[in-house]
Amino acid sequence: MNAIAFTDVTKRYGDVLAVDGLDLEIPAGATVALLGPNGAGKSTSINMLLGLLRPSSGEIRVFGATPETAVSDGEIGAMLQEGALIPELTVAETVDFVRRLYPRPLPLEEILRLADLTELARRRADRLSGGQTQRVRFALAIAGGPRLLLLDEPTAAMDVESRRTFWDNMRAYAAGGRTILFATHYLEEADENADRVVVIARGRVVADGSAAEIKAGVAGQAVSFLLGDQPVAGLDALPGTTGVELQSGRVTLRTTDLDATVAALYRKTTLDVRDLQLHGADLEDAFLALTKEA
Amino acid sequence: MRHYIKVEMLRMLRNKRYIIFVVAFPVGFYLLYSNLWGSESDQATGLRGSVLLMVSMAAYGALAAAMMSTAVPWSQERHSGWLRQLQITPLPGRAIILTKLISSMLLVLPSLLLVGLAAVVTQHVSLSPLQWVGLILAMWAGTIPFAALGLAIGSLLPPDTAQPVAMIGMFGLALLGGLWFPESMMPAAMKSIAHVTPSYDYARIGWQIAAGETPHAADAAGILAWGVALVAFALFAYRRATVRD
Repeated sequence: MNAIAFTDVTKRYGDVLAVDGLDLEIPAGATVALLGPNGAGKSTSINMLLGLLRPSSGEIRVFGATPETAVSDGEIGAMLQEGALIPELTVAETVDFVRRLYPRPLPLEEILRLADLTELARRRADRLSGGQTQRVRFALAIAGGPRLLLLDEPTAAMDVESRRTFWDNMRAYAAGGRTILFATHYLEEADENADRVVVIARGRVVADGSAAEIKAGVAGQAVSFLLGDQPVAGLDALPGTTGVELQSGRVTLRTTDLDATVAALYRKTTLDVRDLQLHGADLEDAFLALTKEA
Repeated sequence: MRHYIKVEMLRMLRNKRYIIFVVAFPVGFYLLYSNLWGSESDQATGLRGSVLLMVSMAAYGALAAAMMSTAVPWSQERHSGWLRQLQITPLPGRAIILTKLISSMLLVLPSLLLVGLAAVVTQHVSLSPLQWVGLILAMWAGTIPFAALGLAIGSLLPPDTAQPVAMIGMFGLALLGGLWFPESMMPAAMKSIAHVTPSYDYARIGWQIAAGETPHAADAAGILAWGVALVAFALFAYRRATVRD
């Protein structure tokens, strides 16, 4: 079953089209990154999944139901971009309050453990640092034991160390077969923490696949070596190759699949390959290329 | 929802501003004023100063509690994202405003009861059991319009504006209602404004019960009308504040 299904969803604010005919299905149990620059429509999509915003047209389903139903059934937990706590309440009081609103909550101890808050349980919210507050907000998102967890740029206010711990905690929660969708504009986060990366720009999906597939789909990877006097003919037929350039004895092959091109270079040609250099595209290049188009 | 009410109470009881304005002020001023004028008797109502002041200060405390526990906290919750946090839980939207109203009504009780206790202990005020029950119930139920006004302010204004507006509203209503000095001392223009405020009706009902009278129909009708109007306004403002576009 799909945890999330967007069917031709559009969201318009006056003249601005924040989400433009979005089609997206996410099966239950997947961990998916929604990657895109600011203003790409990530937050709007997440807020629509939560029923906080209504689509201008199209349909959204969460576990087959409307977002409103899924929220009132306690199927969704979310960490939104903003969200202060009640200053006078302690961490444990806040978490316990929210977990009791859900029909099938996790035990308080387990939530505190999953969010690294056991030590801070008795501290008042107005005495927490920014990173600690984020952990409480993560705790609130998982408190109800939701099957779908939505995280909207969850690590925005965190330092490097907190980020690593945060993703470890998220993976621990996801391990129970839960579905996670997180929005980010950090490419490494998408690469390291998601099984699937959906790149959106201007409210549309511009790429969808594993991080590796997205890198592969983008020009920018190349292999070059010294050809000398050997013939250049036939090189453009190597797998993945999209272009061949020759300059003072050094040939550069542009490719969409670096591994396949290099393998074929050695196995299928008899060329004497010298001074081989590889230029891999990272997700950053892929991302820039994808979101710049059109 | 019961747990939600408990949490709301807990946080307000830990809030210094609430404790100062709502619990310490009315009790403190009662002790001060009743020492000065406690034994004089008021000509308009025929009440002894200690009884009149008990009703006035309890009324001020209740009014302050009803508005302080609603306007600013509610406005802050809307702006800080806490409301969103609640909206994405299974808690139904109407439970939020209902809880706010009920909690604020419960938070009125400490000042009502403490001022009454101070009056009994320090000034030996004695009323019949029926009068006590009637007085407390009337003064309790009579805070509904003020709690509703506080919620409406919190729904319509951002925190930095809600704060002064709630303060001015609270002190204005207390002043015009004759809680700080008798309405008979007000200039004519102020008097005519005072007569249409809910706090004026509210305090008069208290004084009437304390004097052993049945509350006058005009005052009861006045506060009832304000109650209906302000609750409707608060609901409208709440809808506006939580509309999903």
